[in-house]
Formats: sequence, structure tokens, C-alpha cells
Amino acid sequence: MSKTDDTKLIERCISGDRQAFEALLAEYEKPVYNAAYRMLNNRDDARDVTQTVFLKVFQNFGQYDPSRRFFSWIYRITLNESINWLGKANRLEPLAFEAADEGKGPEQELESARVSATVQAALMTINTDYRTVVILKHFLGCSYVEIGEILELPEKTVKSRLYTARQHLKDELTDQGL
Amino acid sequence: MTIEQKFTDLINADIDGDISAAEKDELQAFLGDNAEGRVLHDELASLCDTLNGVEQEAPPPYMRHIIMNSVPPTQGKEESPGFLQILFATPALKYSVTFAAGVFLTLSMLSSNQISHRTFDAVTGLVGTVAEPVETTFAHSISLSETDIAGTVSLRSAGSIIILDFDLVSADQIEVQADYTDKTIWFNGFAQLESEGTTVSAETGQVRLRMEEGKRRYAVYLQNKGARNTTINLRFLADGRVVHQAKLDYAPED
Repeated sequence: MSKTDDTKLIERCISGDRQAFEALLAEYEKPVYNAAYRMLNNRDDARDVTQTVFLKVFQNFGQYDPSRRFFSWIYRITLNESINWLGKANRLEPLAFEAADEGKGPEQELESARVSATVQAALMTINTDYRTVVILKHFLGCSYVEIGEILELPEKTVKSRLYTARQHLKDELTDQGL
Repeated sequence: MTIEQKFTDLINADIDGDISAAEKDELQAFLGDNAEGRVLHDELASLCDTLNGVEQEAPPPYMRHIIMNSVPPTQGKEESPGFLQILFATPALKYSVTFAAGVFLTLSMLSSNQISHRTFDAVTGLVGTVAEPVETTFAHSISLSETDIAGTVSLRSAGSIIILDFDLVSADQIEVQADYTDKTIWFNGFAQLESEGTTVSAETGQVRLRMEEGKRRYAVYLQNKGARNTTINLRFLADGRVVHQAKLDYAPED
């Protein structure tokens, strides 16, 4: 969705249009849920964080700066909520590995689930600073500039963190045979 | 041999397509002379392919519904009308057809020993009466937020009719049992809005609904001729397992 489309929807949300909010929800529900899941490694927690994120978005439209892209705002809220969730639960990484949902599809689906679970397990071995840049880059498809905007970091720092994270992940996935 | 940081940065930048022509030339010259560098380039490229190829997790199907239910109503523009408002406010033809379809489905699901003549007569009469706008009185509402099912069920009344308004989302097939101990209350009709996929059966003291997965909005009509206080006990079952229980209370206005 373009920035203009988002801005129009947000204007309608601010004026009390619930259908506009549902449209925003439909657009961002999946990436927000996935970002939370990759941060937390738990589907129930990801669901709760996603609900909290959208409720906060709804309650704080007045604080949204229309000169910035909406996704950078909502992704920032998502990552902060996920980090808060980790802190509240006092569950410092590495978190327990949640097994993939196996046994319900053809071979390709199982392989896909295995790769997803192995990547997730590797993600949980790196600290949240590194994990956030990997999630933004590879799971949400953000550019360096966008990641910098979301995390309020210089582009150089984003690259540095991403490259270091990749090195860790490469070693971890090699150890796990992927 | 350790690869210089400058070249690991260039390798990463190359993989991300974020490299200038001059940097690209410099990297190619380095990789041409450095087998370790080529291995690292291949490994990181493979890693990025793997990360980019991980399929996104699908959010729970009911999550959107829960979020919309948790968002407080606003005082701004007019909200989308509720089920009963639509049912009672749209042109007669539209909801007559909708309701008739529900009645047809209802009757097709009922076995002959479950149909009393008064029920049949009442359902037939109701198709005609809902064509006019009807004032309903809200009595009670419950919310569900379970893994298997989420949404709301409301109880309203219109004269001697009790209306159970279901607005639910389920991840799988769900059976809903509505029990009422007062034997003077009987099943009076069923209507679906926006969706199909819910079937109904009724017997004395109980209505059973079977809804397919997804978002479902439907209403069950009960005849409460005596206009007595009553309680509707609701049970929601997934694979025969009770996943939620609730009560809806009704007390007629004085």
C-alpha cells in the first residue's frame, strides 16, 4: 500500500471510520504478527502483541507524524512491544525453541516448516538488537534507510548490525546443517 | 586467514544490491584472488536466500475479529450498522429473501418429529413481519475470545420474540448449543447474513447450530409467548470438546 493510501486511511480512522481501521488492519496484520512471532518465538505471544499493537495504533493516531511512513511507525511499535513483552516475561534469550507445526502437509510443506523452524531457532540465539534488523530486512523487506528510520539509527549502524547478525546466523545455521 | 572488514562489508553490500560500480570492481578483484572470500560470498548469499525464502506465518483467522471487537466505538462518522439493524432496516425484499433462505435451510434440517405446527406457523408468519422495521430491545451480550472461536453473541427482544444475534469467527467447525429450560419457549426461525455455512436443528429446549470455519453472522429466533424471565445457556464445542460456555439472561420490560 502506498504512503498516500495509508495517509488517506489514517485520516478516515482519525475521523472515526472503523472500516478504514479494518482496512489498515487487513494490510498490516500479517507483517505485524510475523515480526512479533520472529521476535518472540511464540504464536500466542505474537497474537497478544499484535492485538496490543493495533489497539495502541488506534488510540494514538493523534501522535502519528504524517510526514513519516505509516509502516515505520507501526513496525517500531511492534518491535518495542515485543521487546517489552520479552522483558515483562523475564524471558531472556535464547528462548525455548517452538517446534514447527509438522505432519499436516506434503513433503514440501514439511521442508518449508523445517527451514522456518531452524531459522527461527537460529534467530533466537542472537540478541534483540541484531534480531530486529534481520527481521526488518529479511522478513518485512525494509531497506537500510527504512530500517534506520524505524529504529532511529544511522544507516551505517544498521549495516554493521545486519552484517554481524548474518555472520552469527550463518555459523548457527551451518551448525544445524542448513 | 581473516577477511578484512572492508571486504566483508562489500560482500554484504553486493548481496543486497547496494554497491557502486567502483566498489563492485574492487570486490571482483578481491574475490578473484581470494578463495576464502568467494566461499564467504556464496555462504552469505545462500543465507540471505534462505532468510528471504522463509514463508510468512498466517495470523490466527479470528485475530482480526478480536482486534476489531477490542477497539472502542468512536463518536466520529457513522459506524457500520449491526446485524439486526441491517436485517430490520434494509428493503423488504432483501431480508425477506435472506430470511426465507434461512427458514428453508432450517426446515430442511429439522426432522419431522422436531417440528410442531405452532413452530412452523410462527416461522412462516415471521417472514412476513420482519419486512417492516422492528424495534428491538437489547438485553444482554457476551464476548468470546478463545483459540477456537471468538466474537459476540447478543440477546435482544421484539415483543414476544427473543433474538440471539451471533457474530463469530472460528478457526474450525464449531457446534453451538443453546439450551433453555423453559418449555414454553420454542424455536421460531433462523437467518444468516453475508455468509452461508451454518446449519441449525432444534428440539424442545434446545437449538443446535453447526458453523463452518470463518466469519459467520446469523440470528436465531425464539418465541417466548409468556414473556417470562429466562436464561439461555450457550455451549461452544470443537470436535465434541467444550471450548466455551456462557449464559444470556432475558427479563421482559415491565
